[in-house]
Amino acid sequence: MKNRVRLTFPQHLIQEPVIFMMAKDFNIMPSIRRARVTDSIGEMVLELDGSEEDLNNGIQYLRDRGVDVELVEGDLIE
Amino acid sequence: MSYVKGLKCRECGREYHVDPIYVCEFCFGPLEVVYDYDGIKKALTREVISSRPQNLWRYKELLPIEGEPSTALDTGYTPLVKADNLARHLGIKSLYIKDDTVAHPTLSFKDRVVAVALAKAKEFGFDTVACASTGNLAHSVSAHGARAGFKRFIFIPASLEKSKIIASLAYEPNLIAVDGNYDEVNRLCSEVANKYRWAFVNINIRPFYAEGSKSQGYEIIEQLGWKAPDAVVVPCASGSLMTKIWKSFKEMKDVGLIEKMETRVFSAQATGCSPIVSAIKSGIDVIRPVKPDTIAKSLAIGNPADGYYATQVIKESRGYGEDVSDEEIVEAIKLMAKTEGVFAETAGGVTLASAIKLIKSGRIAKDDVTVLCVTGNGLKTQEALIGKTAEPHYIKPKLSAFEEVLEKINTVKS
Repeated sequence: MKNRVRLTFPQHLIQEPVIFMMAKDFNIMPSIRRARVTDSIGEMVLELDGSEEDLNNGIQYLRDRGVDVELVEGDLIE
Repeated sequence: MSYVKGLKCRECGREYHVDPIYVCEFCFGPLEVVYDYDGIKKALTREVISSRPQNLWRYKELLPIEGEPSTALDTGYTPLVKADNLARHLGIKSLYIKDDTVAHPTLSFKDRVVAVALAKAKEFGFDTVACASTGNLAHSVSAHGARAGFKRFIFIPASLEKSKIIASLAYEPNLIAVDGNYDEVNRLCSEVANKYRWAFVNINIRPFYAEGSKSQGYEIIEQLGWKAPDAVVVPCASGSLMTKIWKSFKEMKDVGLIEKMETRVFSAQATGCSPIVSAIKSGIDVIRPVKPDTIAKSLAIGNPADGYYATQVIKESRGYGEDVSDEEIVEAIKLMAKTEGVFAETAGGVTLASAIKLIKSGRIAKDDVTVLCVTGNGLKTQEALIGKTAEPHYIKPKLSAFEEVLEKINTVKS
């Protein structure tokens, strides 16, 4: 299955290969669609392709590292 | 006749036909409706608008529908209240409340966006409408959808208090209470929207749905005598309303309905959920998601879909943003009620309390013509005021008891 997500990186993670580590450790194929990096924060929009279990584990890995992972649609509950 | 040219990605500019789609296939940027403004300029005049019924369809050329709306409850054209009592209290000359607490079928501005979304859903041939909501949007989709004959699915977190959903249940939609946190409900709704051929108003119909908010901006300008205000204060949840009010003001100028537009736009949020105002105050345009913690539940969107675009409106219009505490929200609700007779929900308290700060700091000048966007009725969030209002005077059913209290009241007032 595929998930469209927006990642927000705090400053201390901008220079770390967290996307590569997630892809490698959880067998997830990331497709980067957009990215913006400032000196204090990073933002990336991508599609993640993998099994449901791998995606859940991979997203949890990112969150555990301190990356905000949100739906690309934003919050849907209004 | 429609003046819609198509959809366009707000990020990469790629163009799409009018379809129930919401995100660019290439960059995942949000899609927005684009219009033939030259055509609208020829067709739409102040006289034409003034001759039409007082509802949001009087601006139909600037809304993304084909011809006449085929569904729904009419809504819109809410009062623009000249708030002289409140203005005196705040020490400014010219203050207005755009009062969306009344004249809507479900008493909030969500009726504007839902009316447009459902008209569009009918055009697309959907038989089912859906949304994820904890309040105003659920009420509105339930009500408009019932009238228009749609099947309705409303998703809520199962943890939501029953009192919040009674008003929606009265319209008998299919209410799906999901046993999960907000993130899990969000994710499920995204999956449902991508699998079922339903009109999910704030997902696959979002580009059209969001355009309904523009009607609030058109009304402000028309009701000010075809003039744009100097300042407008807008409560922000997803940020969509603010971006659309700004778009509506620019459109009014572009199609020649007003000559000048130099409005500064101000964002209002609760401190317990202020990702947009935080970005504005920090001078950055990357929105850092937050976990909401505020009594202003209708603004409690921690990851606002249009947050980035909201910060761009602030930059472009030379505005600013303010955030306010729960205590300041309650005090502002009471102040608006006792000075102007307008009882707003908590979001209205956020707007007024933020405006007070903006006036005190001089960002809104004392002679600016200022409009406060008040988006929902206070009857919907009465729990916010429990224990925080004045108490009744309890008496025995005797004239002497009443006169005793009357004397006390008169003594306090004198």
